Amino acid sequence: MNTVSETINDSKNALLEDMTQVAVARDTRALERLFDHYAPRIRAFCLSAQPGANLMADDIAQEVMIRIWNKAHLYNPATASLNTWIFTIARNARIDYMRKNGRYQSDIDPEEFWSEMADENADPFREAQQQRDQERVRDGLKQLPNDQQQVLAKVYLEGKSHSEASEELGLPLGTVKSRVRLALNKLSVIIKR
Amino acid sequence: MLSCHPTIDILTDYSSGSLSLAHALGVSVHLDQCPKCREQVKRLNMVGAELFASQTDTVSKDHMAQLKSNVMAAINQADVTQAKQQEDKDVFSHIPASLRRLIPKGFNALNWMYLTPSFKLATLSNEAGGPQIALSRIKAGARLPSHTHTGNEVTIVLKGAFSDEDGLYREGDFISRDHNHKHQPRVTKDEECICLIILDSPIEFTGWVTRLLNPIMRHFHPNNALNGA
Repeated sequence: MNTVSETINDSKNALLEDMTQVAVARDTRALERLFDHYAPRIRAFCLSAQPGANLMADDIAQEVMIRIWNKAHLYNPATASLNTWIFTIARNARIDYMRKNGRYQSDIDPEEFWSEMADENADPFREAQQQRDQERVRDGLKQLPNDQQQVLAKVYLEGKSHSEASEELGLPLGTVKSRVRLALNKLSVIIKR
Repeated sequence: MLSCHPTIDILTDYSSGSLSLAHALGVSVHLDQCPKCREQVKRLNMVGAELFASQTDTVSKDHMAQLKSNVMAAINQADVTQAKQQEDKDVFSHIPASLRRLIPKGFNALNWMYLTPSFKLATLSNEAGGPQIALSRIKAGARLPSHTHTGNEVTIVLKGAFSDEDGLYREGDFISRDHNHKHQPRVTKDEECICLIILDSPIEFTGWVTRLLNPIMRHFHPNNALNGA
């Protein structure tokens, strides 16, 4: 193993340790360290969807950190990596914010069902499997051709649907769909059925 | 065993958060009952998570310090008492977790509207200008009047089973129909069938008599202004 990936793993373990401290010991210092790492990413995630909307990005970053504190006891490392758990909270908070501010007029609350998918049957074997999958996705993303990276960023970071992405990129809907599928296939994300 | 699942495109839009709330609710109800699609969404979330974690932000340190102190002040005040929900097992049988807030007192307590003696409908939510979310409840063995869909329709079976020209659909199945699809579903004889339906625009009945129901179907759909009802 080279030193770069060791450094990544060290910082990941430190974050996981902080998360455990938040959940078990209600350690506010640990939450501050999580803030330092994640809050800038949450801001960037919001700005991808709404460039220039700094107030919204600030609001959501704070909201997500508060949710992490309040929901810490629900986090289970065996079912999702910390990145995945926090990504889903940030995604839900972004949807919720847009809902309350007009994009979706609706009386449905995304937090009710866009769940963090607490999975009942987690075991150590699946935890190891889950980590391997996550690492494969991380390495795979770096090796995707530019056009596939671009379309995944549109979908996941900017929160665009396939049809919105096709409009913005000036590509036929079919092309966008097939690029997303190609990328997901290369990352071995699609389960055969 | 489930035979009908959302496509990978739909699950990707669900995972990335771009699906409309009504359709996301439909997917979520399916996920409550389908471990395979749950696993699929979990993997799709990993992609989002890695992209999310690889971003950088250029905002100043002072600004972040301010936000941090806001958060720390907020959590000190927060009262984290979780209200424990009392769940009545009988009332909630066949109601997936994702739907419990919309059906808080069980199927029977909903405001059902009879369309025919064997077929009734209850609206759960109307997104202004968006899809209609409703439950359909059809008696055992009944045949639904022949109808077409004027827009896309998603159906998730919550209880019982029904069949049409294309096959048999059971609990948990996720069925997506586009417009132009004309069909005449029939419920199996052993028990009634309850489905969650998400309608982009109103159903249109094509039978001689049932055609008279069309103005009602349009009236209850949130898009009724557009349809010139």
